[in-house]
Formats: sequence, structure tokens, C-alpha cells
Amino acid sequence: MTDNSEATVQLRPGLWATVNKRYPGSMIHKDDYIPLAKLRKPLGEARLSFVSTAGVQPVGIMPFDTVHPIGDYTFRRVPSDAKPADLKIHQLKYPTTGALRDLNVIFPIERLQEFAREGVIGGLTENFFSFIGYNMDAERLERTLAESIAEQVVAECADAVLLAPA
Amino acid sequence: MSLKYLKEAVANNDTEKLIRYVRLHFGDGNEAAGRKEIDKAWMEALKLLLDVPATDREIILQTLADRDAATLAHLFFHLHFYFVQRSGEWIHDGQL
Repeated sequence: MTDNSEATVQLRPGLWATVNKRYPGSMIHKDDYIPLAKLRKPLGEARLSFVSTAGVQPVGIMPFDTVHPIGDYTFRRVPSDAKPADLKIHQLKYPTTGALRDLNVIFPIERLQEFAREGVIGGLTENFFSFIGYNMDAERLERTLAESIAEQVVAECADAVLLAPA
Repeated sequence: MSLKYLKEAVANNDTEKLIRYVRLHFGDGNEAAGRKEIDKAWMEALKLLLDVPATDREIILQTLADRDAATLAHLFFHLHFYFVQRSGEWIHDGQL
């Protein structure tokens, strides 16, 4: 488990002010802090999970809603032992030319599998988690999507999580 | 922009903000490109009907009658991207 004793430490002071300045109309107002958590065991013993906004999902299931004007607030489980050929990208908002040649550039599943085999990390959770980054409702994203993923990550007994925006 | 921004625009009947958002959405952040994308979708739909082919009006009318407005609105966005993709001129970085 992680240590939240420094939960009041802001990861990036002024983050939301920066977002609102760069993206007029974002209108995100948050006064609370982003809690930091310390890793309580060596990385070589830690079970790692992976959360990505890349829109990667197993082939053959309901694709992410890439057309909805307000965004998609669902996530997909991606088995951590999956092969890139088992996976597909559904999203419209970032270039996928490189990722279509090698999925690891955006969703480094094979690199994480290698790290687990080599003992760089203690292991992987059974599933990774993926959603699309195009979401217009930051509050809903935090209240539902992020909370749901966090619950799943805890349920899978993760010691650490790698977060990767697309 | 955010959902809050859009809801305020609706409350204030600020149609310029709303259509600008739609264009930005379709144009991946480029309003002029979004305007062309909207035109492209309509032209593609028009081309398909020039020869007056047989179409399934029954299912169209049934869908319009049976489905709720939000589902039809969602379908509308799907149709936009369907026709843009069908046109062969795909400007987006990613895929549906």
C-alpha cells in the first residue's frame, strides 16, 4: 500500500490556473490538492498497474465513443498479458501513425511485461485500464471515471500505478 | 472549453459559442476545418441520393418515432463521422 501522509502536498501548484489560462473556457475550479502517495516497498517487489488515456481496448468489445461531443466516461480493462495484436485503438484526438506500427509507443504493455519478467518490478495487476482523454466534463471525469478506475486498481491489489496520457 | 462553458452558452442562447464548439469538435480544434467537415458530410450524403436509390424509409421513420431525442442526437454525430469517413477525406489523427 501507499503512504498518504503528505496528502496536502500539491503535485503541481497552480495546475488548474495554468490549464484555464491555456484553454480558455475550461472553467475548472478546484481548491483541494492532488494527494501524493509514497511507495512503501521496493519497485522490484511492487505490483504495478497501468492507467492510460490512449483509448486502447481489447478487440471485439464495444468501442470507445469517439464521436460524442461531451466525451466518453467509460473505461476498458486490458489484460496485462495481452499481445498488441489483441488490442485496438479507438480515439480521434492524437496521431496514431507510430502507435499503429508499435502500440508500445503509446501503450507500453510489452515493456511492462518485460520489466515484470526481468524483476525490475514485482509483477503486474491482472488488468490494466484505459479510457479516452477527450472529456468535456472534468467533474464527471473525476467523480465517476477516475473513481471507478481507482476502485478497480485497489481491488487488483496494486502497489503502484503508472499513469500515461496520450 | 468545458461542459460548464457550453451549458452557460445554452442558458444565454449564445448560438455562436455553440456552433463554434461543434466546428472545433469536428475540426479537431480548427474551426475552419470543422466547417469544411460539416459541409463534407452533407455533400457525401447528398451524393448518395442523387440517383434516388431505394432507401429503407420504414426503418428511418420507425427510428425517428421510437427512439428518444438524445439517442437520435448521438446518432446524428455518428452519421457525421460515417459520411466523413465514407468520403475518403479523413483529416483526423486517430480512428473511430
